[in-house]
Parts: sequence; C-alpha cells; structure tokens
Amino acid sequence: MWSRGWLAALLLVVCPRVAGAAEVPIPGNERAVEVHGFVSPGFLVTTSNNYLAKSRRGSFEFTEVGINFTVPITDRLRSGVQLFARDLGPTGNYSPKADWFYLDYRFEDWLGLRAGRVKIPFGLYNDSSDVDAARVPILLPQSLYSINNRDFLLAQTGAEVYGRVRMQGLGALEYRIYGGTIFLDVASQTTLSTQVTNLDVPYVAGQRLIWETPVEGLRAGASLQALRLDADVRLPDRPPVSLGVPAVLWVGSAEYALHDLLLSAEYSRWIARLESNDATVVPPARGISERAYAMASYRVNEWFQPGAYYSLYYPDVKRRSGREAMQHDVAATLRFDINHNWLVKLEGHFMSGTAMLSADLNDGRTPAQLDRNWGVFLVKTTAHF
Amino acid sequence: MRPLEQAARVLLLALFALVVSPGEVSAEAAAPAFVVIVHPSNPAGALERSFVADAFLKKTTRWPDGGVIKPVDLPPTSTTRERFSRDVLKRSVAAVKTYWQQIIFSGRDVPPAELSGDEAVVQYVLTHRGAIGYVSGGARVGDAKTVSVR
Repeated sequence: MWSRGWLAALLLVVCPRVAGAAEVPIPGNERAVEVHGFVSPGFLVTTSNNYLAKSRRGSFEFTEVGINFTVPITDRLRSGVQLFARDLGPTGNYSPKADWFYLDYRFEDWLGLRAGRVKIPFGLYNDSSDVDAARVPILLPQSLYSINNRDFLLAQTGAEVYGRVRMQGLGALEYRIYGGTIFLDVASQTTLSTQVTNLDVPYVAGQRLIWETPVEGLRAGASLQALRLDADVRLPDRPPVSLGVPAVLWVGSAEYALHDLLLSAEYSRWIARLESNDATVVPPARGISERAYAMASYRVNEWFQPGAYYSLYYPDVKRRSGREAMQHDVAATLRFDINHNWLVKLEGHFMSGTAMLSADLNDGRTPAQLDRNWGVFLVKTTAHF
Repeated sequence: MRPLEQAARVLLLALFALVVSPGEVSAEAAAPAFVVIVHPSNPAGALERSFVADAFLKKTTRWPDGGVIKPVDLPPTSTTRERFSRDVLKRSVAAVKTYWQQIIFSGRDVPPAELSGDEAVVQYVLTHRGAIGYVSGGARVGDAKTVSVR
C-alpha cells in the first residue's frame, strides 16, 4: 500500500532533522500506551417511515464499539490507532476496521504534521461525530453530520498539517489543512436498485480554520473541502454507466461554550456536479444543497444535561417545497451521566419532510411517497474509558 | 412587630446567612482554593490564566524556553479540581471530560495524567522538569515552586 511506504519515508525524513531540535525520548513509564474505548448500544423506533434501520417496528441495530491505542514515541512524535465496528440497520454488521491510524509529529505548537488515516476536520464536530460520549445529542444534527455519510466524510488517508497560534489580544487561531484519498467499501454503497461495481475517490483536500475569539468560550470557524467521487454503476435493465461527482463543501461555524452552557450553530452548502458517460442512462446534473442547525445544551448538575436543536436540510436550494425536498428536524435530548464512565441518553425528534429517507429501507417507496410528518425516539447507553 | 416586617427580617437574615456562610469566610481567609505549582527550576513567577488553561487542555505544549509542559490533574471527584477547572479552564470538570472525549477519540491527544491527591501531584512536579500541577490551598508543597495565575 502506498500509505505504508509513504509513512516510512516521512519518518526517515522527519526524524533525523528534528533530532537536534531538543527532541527528548519519553522515559520509563511515561511512554506507556494509553488505551481508551467505548461501547454504545442503542435502540431506535419511528412513528412512521423507516429511518437508518427497519425502525418502524423498533430496531436494536444501532451500536458502535471502538478501542484506541496511543503511544508517545518522543516528546514530539506520537502514534495511534483506533479499531471501530458498528451496526446500523443494513450497514456495518460489526465488521471491524481501522477507523484511524497515524504518526503525529509536532514541531512546535504552530506546526504539526499528521500522516496516515486521519479524521477529517469539517465543521465543529465531524472528527468526533462517532463518539457518543463526546456530545449531548444521540444523533448530531443530521443535515450536517449525517450518520449515513460516515464512510465518506469521517476520515481520509493522507496527510494533515495543523497548528495553533495565539494572537495576543485577538485570541487564537487553529488551522488544519489536509489532503489524501478516501477508501470506500463498494459493498456498503450498493442498494436494492443500484449496483456499484467500482468506487474511487481520487482526491479529497480541505482546510478548517477555527478562531478562538477574545470573548471567553466563543469560537468561530470556516471549513472548506473539495473531493471527487468516481463510480461504475449498474441500474436495473440499463447498461453500465460511469459517473463522476466533483464536489465542494463548505461550512461556517460558531460555538459558545462557557462553564456548563453550550450553544452552537452552523450553516453549510454542498455544491456537486454529476458527470456521466451515458446521458441516456444517467443525465449530467448540478446541484447545491443547504444544511444548517442551531443547538443548545446545559449541564444542570454533574449527572444531568438536557439539550435541543433545530436542523434543516434542502437537497436542492432551488426547490424548497414538497416533502421529499426538505427535512426539518426538532430534537430534544436528556443525557444522564450515571458515573464518569457510563451514561444513558433519551432523545425524541419531530421530523417534517423526508429528504434524508431512503427507498431501500422503505420497501421501495420513494421519499415523495413517505409520510411527511413523523417522529423518532432513541435510547442509547455508552460505557467509555 | 407587624408580620410583614417580621417576614422581611427573617428573609434578610436568611439571605445574609447564605451569602456570608461561616465556612466560606474562614476558607477564603485561611487559604486559596488551590495553588498552581511548577518544578523548582522553572523561572516563571506568574503565569497568564490563558497560558495555564492552554497547557492543561494541551493546546500549548511548550514552555517559553522550549521545554515540554507536563500538566497533571487531580481526580475528577476532587473539589480542588472543580474549583481549578471553573476558575482557570472556565469549564466544569464534566465539560472538560467531554472536551477530552472529543480529542481522544479523534486521535489528537490524550488528557493529562490524573494523580491520586495533593501529595502525588507535589511529588510528580518535584521529579519532572516542565511539570505543572495544582493542589489545594492548604497543601504542603515542599520545594515545589508556587506560581500566581494572573
């Protein structure tokens, strides 16, 4: 694999050069491997429409499990790996995979280099979106952090340059710039109506800037990502077709976190073009989707933290009417921390619109044929260490 | 005395008792809730609060002289940690835990070591150049250097 050789080359280049730069080997027990993990089983049920799983009758196919190992090699060089498995309706089926693995060399606080399979910084929460314990809601606002997009948007294999600088009275600026590719499992992208025979992401590149403002707890951010997806697809009773999807995604973010209060809001547009080598099977197209949310949570005491959000999604900004052309989501969550390593969450959603629903999970009924107003109820418990 | 006046006096007395509780007065007068300590060789006499916060959240990893900052925490149940967290990090201990969950599981770093109590923190700071910790106001810090936080 190119990445293994590339990493080795990187190490050879980086390590000798920094040896003279006050790099200190980690002595004795400080070099110990840190192990962290989580197990998050859950249950979801919907009042109508199947969502994420066969949810109308209730589904326990809503579980994630992960374990990671981090080891400091020197005071500047660190390595880590996380193994992850999940079961979410028809996807996952507890097939374990390396969620991320990396070598991280921090020259200074303002310049670091990470290489391997690394989480994609997109918006405020994308790189921690699969960790239930790291947030209040069970489902982050799905308009931006769709659990179905996990394979596409969670991690990339390549490299990342990162850093953070303090700007005297102007707060601090944190930056991450990355580029690489995304390995996708062809089988997981195949649906009842579409057979994907080849899937490739030639490139993904982007950046995230977070400005920690001088106002304590207030930060603002901007993320930009460009990627291309190539696929060979076979539709029922049609000849095979090759598709290409170049896309540009951006999001503007704001968060205020002080003491026990957390407020955040993000607005995003995803601009994508569909290229096809056979317009009679799949005609070329161009679309801009719109995604946004506002979220609040408050820690009442050590064990109780309620939260709520409103999230909206328009797959096509030029078309804002019709149930299949939108999804409004009003959610409320109760998080109970039983102790420092175990929590339970209850969550309810009122949904208006069906834009994020799939025909495959709904016996072939298209989003336009599904119930416009529906509800979701979820329970999740997470043990973590 | 009219019942309304009586009720008002009782309320005032209750409020006074709440605001100036004997425990708080004596605690504040006797010692601060926590003191920040560093290795005796550390030249710093005072540190900016934002620098200390960045060090404990590992956003800043180097002292001005280039040495590695080695922060150590008290256990999450410690009242000293709760006070340090609110005053310096401006977040509750639980909120800081959530912050570390995001960092740990996105593969970016690991939290500072949690030691069992004041004595262990003092011992760690004394034996590690670059260490920074905090202990309760009344703790014996030995040769560890106390720094003020601005």
